[in-house]
Amino acid sequence: MSQTRDVTTQGITGHLANNTSHQRELGMAGESSGEDIVSEYLGQNPHLAPWIDSLRGYCETNKQWFARREFILRNMETFSTVEPGVPSSSLDKLISLSMVWANHVFLGCSYPQAVMDKIKEMSEGIVVQDAPVHRTTKDESMMKGKRSAKSEGDAESCVKRAKCGPNEIDSRPAGRTATWPMSQKAGPQPQAPAEYQPFFNRLYKTVAWKLVSAGGFGPNMDHFEILRSCVESCKQTLICVFVPLKDITGLPTGRTQKEGHVCEIRCQTVYMGTGYGRDESASRAMAAKEALKAFQGRKVTVKICKRRYKGRDVEDLILLDEQPRNQGFPPALSYPFQDMQQEDGSS
Amino acid sequence: MGVPAFFRWLSRKYPSIIVHCVEEKGRESNGVRVPVDTTKPNPNEVEFDNLYLDMNGIIHPCTHPEDKPAPKNEDEMMVAIFEYIDRLYNIVRPRRVLYMAIDGVAPRAKMNQQRSRRFRASKEGVELTDEKHRIREEIIQRGGYLPPEEIKERFDSNCITPGTEFMDNLAHCLRYYVADRLSNDPGWKNVTVLLSDASVPGEGEHKIMDYIRRQRAQPNHDPNTHHCLCGADADLIMLGLATHEPNFTIIREEFKPNKPRPCALCGQMGHEIKDCQGTAREKQGEHDEFAGTVPVSEQEFIFIRLCVLREYLARELTMASLPFPFDFERSVDDWVFMCFFVGNDFLPHLPSLEIREGAIDRLVRIYKDVVHKTGGYLTENGYVNLERVELIMQAVGVAEDNIFKKRKEDDESFKRRMKDKKKRMKAEQRGPAYLTTGQFAPQALGRRDRPDAVQNARHQAYDMRMQREQHNMDAAQSLKAMMKNGGNSSAGTSDSADNRGVKRKAGDSDSEPEPEDNVRLWEDGWKQRYYKTKFDVDVSDEDFRKKVVKSYVEGLCWVLRYYYQGCASWKWYFPFHYAPFASDFKDIKEMFTEFETDTKPFKPLEQLMGVFPAASGNFLPPTWRNLMSSPDSSIIDFYPDDFAIDLNGKKYAWQGVALLPFVDERRLRAALADVYPDLSAVEVKRNSLGSDVMFLSKSHPLFDFIHELYRTEAREGTEIPAELCHGIQGTLNLDDDPILPDNPVTSPIPMLRDISQNSAIGVKFKDPQYADGFVFKAVLLPDAKMPTKVLRPDEWVKGNGESWRPQLGFNSNRQQVHLDQSGFRALGHSMNRNQGRGQYSNAPPPNSYQHGNYRSSASGGHQPFQHSRQNSLLGAPPSFHQPQYPRQQQQRGGHGWDRAVQSQQSAYQQNMNRGWGGGATSGGGGATPGGGGGYQQQQQQHYDQRRDDWHDRRDNRGQHQQGYGSGRGFPPPPPSRRYNWK
Repeated sequence: MSQTRDVTTQGITGHLANNTSHQRELGMAGESSGEDIVSEYLGQNPHLAPWIDSLRGYCETNKQWFARREFILRNMETFSTVEPGVPSSSLDKLISLSMVWANHVFLGCSYPQAVMDKIKEMSEGIVVQDAPVHRTTKDESMMKGKRSAKSEGDAESCVKRAKCGPNEIDSRPAGRTATWPMSQKAGPQPQAPAEYQPFFNRLYKTVAWKLVSAGGFGPNMDHFEILRSCVESCKQTLICVFVPLKDITGLPTGRTQKEGHVCEIRCQTVYMGTGYGRDESASRAMAAKEALKAFQGRKVTVKICKRRYKGRDVEDLILLDEQPRNQGFPPALSYPFQDMQQEDGSS
Repeated sequence: MGVPAFFRWLSRKYPSIIVHCVEEKGRESNGVRVPVDTTKPNPNEVEFDNLYLDMNGIIHPCTHPEDKPAPKNEDEMMVAIFEYIDRLYNIVRPRRVLYMAIDGVAPRAKMNQQRSRRFRASKEGVELTDEKHRIREEIIQRGGYLPPEEIKERFDSNCITPGTEFMDNLAHCLRYYVADRLSNDPGWKNVTVLLSDASVPGEGEHKIMDYIRRQRAQPNHDPNTHHCLCGADADLIMLGLATHEPNFTIIREEFKPNKPRPCALCGQMGHEIKDCQGTAREKQGEHDEFAGTVPVSEQEFIFIRLCVLREYLARELTMASLPFPFDFERSVDDWVFMCFFVGNDFLPHLPSLEIREGAIDRLVRIYKDVVHKTGGYLTENGYVNLERVELIMQAVGVAEDNIFKKRKEDDESFKRRMKDKKKRMKAEQRGPAYLTTGQFAPQALGRRDRPDAVQNARHQAYDMRMQREQHNMDAAQSLKAMMKNGGNSSAGTSDSADNRGVKRKAGDSDSEPEPEDNVRLWEDGWKQRYYKTKFDVDVSDEDFRKKVVKSYVEGLCWVLRYYYQGCASWKWYFPFHYAPFASDFKDIKEMFTEFETDTKPFKPLEQLMGVFPAASGNFLPPTWRNLMSSPDSSIIDFYPDDFAIDLNGKKYAWQGVALLPFVDERRLRAALADVYPDLSAVEVKRNSLGSDVMFLSKSHPLFDFIHELYRTEAREGTEIPAELCHGIQGTLNLDDDPILPDNPVTSPIPMLRDISQNSAIGVKFKDPQYADGFVFKAVLLPDAKMPTKVLRPDEWVKGNGESWRPQLGFNSNRQQVHLDQSGFRALGHSMNRNQGRGQYSNAPPPNSYQHGNYRSSASGGHQPFQHSRQNSLLGAPPSFHQPQYPRQQQQRGGHGWDRAVQSQQSAYQQNMNRGWGGGATSGGGGATPGGGGGYQQQQQQHYDQRRDDWHDRRDNRGQHQQGYGSGRGFPPPPPSRRYNWK
């Protein structure tokens, strides 16, 4: 009996692992979540179903439970002493970690770092669609600036949403990638911000005067045109990356229009903004508007920040105003710093 | 339930339920404090039999007070607690029973709330420290001054939880305290003291209720016992009503909102931490003699008379022409039940019912509307009739949509009004945007120095124009400068106070960023959005919604049962963070059958594991603590180190919902099974369930009986002979470590002396037991005599010979107090001579803005409830002829006023005992308004024609009093509730 169990458990993890790697090869993930695989697996091992359902909490919604169930099934083999149907302390540990993960994703709880690292590892590959966004009060007070006050367009926030820690929602660029004029490096160099800062100081002044002459920052101006002319008068060029929305995976299914494009603007490899629009130029305008918002403060700063790119955390150069903000950057659509297997899609 | 909200609502709507306490203060004579003799009649003109203390309401303010410096160590805390109890004892003067109940392990339903409070406290503590640190740095960088950071350890209020060492010590100290008072205080000699410490499971107030319930169900109970329950929770009002005892009074601290608090950084009053400037401390008083004192008066106490509330409710709930006979007692139970919808400690309140929006009135209205459909009461003896409840819920559900819309409208218009107000205030401050200058400068009207004739007007106009231009250029300059420096010269811009630039900025910062509200209850589709955002389910998920409703229905049944019959299940709890909508309560009849029986409460240390965050783990043994932080712990998910707070439409974090995971009892017990062997002997003892203890002194009739039990070493429980103890019943068991007469009791507190002459005895006490399935009846007892009515009868017609005389205390024939002539002479004398600064020199007394918040003006109460203190609100004294005063009094008030004095020696003394000044003169000042009242009572017939005169005089006296109080730095005059101008 226990042998069959071992086989079956390996079965599911193998199953899931295969599936994920398969998805990775295709350059897309999460569209068909683990849910189907789990139910397929449980269909093959009907004796497990009542047991696993007995672990469901009374107040868990279907969505929460399916996600947690997948978490438990995926990690069963690492807890080798877990035997379905037999209560044990190692089973309790697994349940506890699954709850930690679910609480983190669905309630917004955080735990000591060691615990967080552990669940991050264990949750690799599990996709939760449209996880709720919770902020702790700490973030809340940090967000008091203008940035949080404005409400973003729905689609825009969809893009921004994909930030929840270990929950694997990521967007992958499947469109064209511009060729980079700069020499390619593996990630930004630590001195890069200092190198770029003088240019952006100049740009800041140019933009400020431009905005003054245009009557102040407002919704009815051609943001991209302003940004472009300012950058060009500083003898540089803007780089825009477009990705059709349908090529971005892991977006909430309910509210996504499948048309539309997402645009990311950079200048001198420094990220400035992301925007969504019905067509490429609308998305570019939106991204430019985002970018210009950074120029509303007293100064702009180039910083190295962590953000998501292709499901990994990478370091990126980002232009910020002095407003403190939480690290809620939308995932990068491009990565101008040559590293690893990045160029696969565009070459 | 939102405690302040409910209480505020209640006291505004039913003002006469509140009676201010008369408190006799101990005096000091040659440096020795003379204790108050509590054997004397109660100065409140009422005698209470039983005093119940919900101790947690005492422990919290005594251990971490908000309005005075915190006690330095545990011993000081204990002493503060003793003093607080002494004070209450002195006010209430119970004649039969003093019951002290400390919260023990609570039912699971309550644990969620406790957990959320403790996690929040911990989180807030961390955030406050961070903020303090940040602001401190800032201020010091700006060159401000701050007192050095105190190194003292913060008192973690989380230790006020059963099972901690602190609670164990407290129980120990209270035993000592009781033994001491029983041996040494004559006021205690006939009182039976019951102590239910934290080792006895149950919340304090519910242990008290259990005691009352079990006493009144046995035949020897005196149905006219006068109960007095101390505690600030709004629940107590419900609980008191639920007993159906006719004489039930609650005593609590007067609720004063927005009490000034010292800044957490520099310790000065008058600003909050975020506005701290780091300026040097101001001298308090001329020679800094008031340093360390906080300019607030001592907390005063108020009584809440439930018999008066019952009168009000009788008016409100009585329905004529019913298809069934009207029973007031049962309608009270229904009222209590409906209050639970609005909020209680065990369930989140329904989103559409908000107490501030008159939810209870709405429910009562609906209740009366649908009574013909329901055909009966909603509850009986604490059991709910779900079919009828559904009808009520459906009626609320129909209105839900409108309630949400109206809420939004009100909110918007409130915001608009606030904005307008702010604008107005600012405009007033700033003055007009442009003022002519020089000889054209505006001149005040009516001044003697007329402006000169205008000379060389054109030149002046030119000057003004140039000035204006210069101004504009400056602004442009500073803008340029800002651009150049990349905004570093922030000081430059704000210095050149161009009011237009400033205006824009200030306007922006006014509109604080609103928390995002994704639910938007006021827009169509609110239900979908609510379920989606709050529960993360689609509205189509009927099963889930049913689950939530079912849990809520169970919850309502559980809570009502808890109030009327005691804890039905220690295990049950509401497993969601949010409530469903009223309109979701469909087919609820089948949703609840019965609770699991024979559930057991947690052990104290188990409960600690259930309610503490990892940061408070130091109260637990190391291996237990480890379970709260180790990645290998099988219950690590219970202990997040940070969590989200959903504001849920509210403004402040403390009003929001803490999104904490729930505790899985099975896993908790399993995990603890492994670490149980690690407990030390002391911890094992702390973890065990204890018993109530009864204490008496030698002079009590029951004393010999108990003493005999010890002498014969009776091993079995013994019933109390009813005739020895006012009909109180219960089972006595010998205590293992008893307090015995003539055995000295050592003091656990170094600064207090041991009791060498002990005359107290202690014995374990158990409430009377009843068979399983026994139902405590929620009815009046047969021999209960109803207290006399207080409210003016509806049929009272003005001018039918006698005018209505409102009752303000417990006694309708309350004698009023007067100051005789010599008193006035002395007063006038000392005022004239010693007042260096004059009577007007000071602002109103420091706490004149802290009036009780239950003035009748807000709601059309039946009876005006005025303070003479209101006078001080009227602003500056219009005329004040102090020296004339005694003479005037002589001329006009020769009768009544003075005559009454001779006969009222005792009453006078009582008033003095209010003790707000100490000396005879100040007592006199306080007595003045009292005199007015007496005058009014006795001269009632002449009242109308003399009204105008009287008004005059009263005004004068009001001012007089005020000037006096403030000029000397005395506390303000006591609240005298004896004027009734109607």
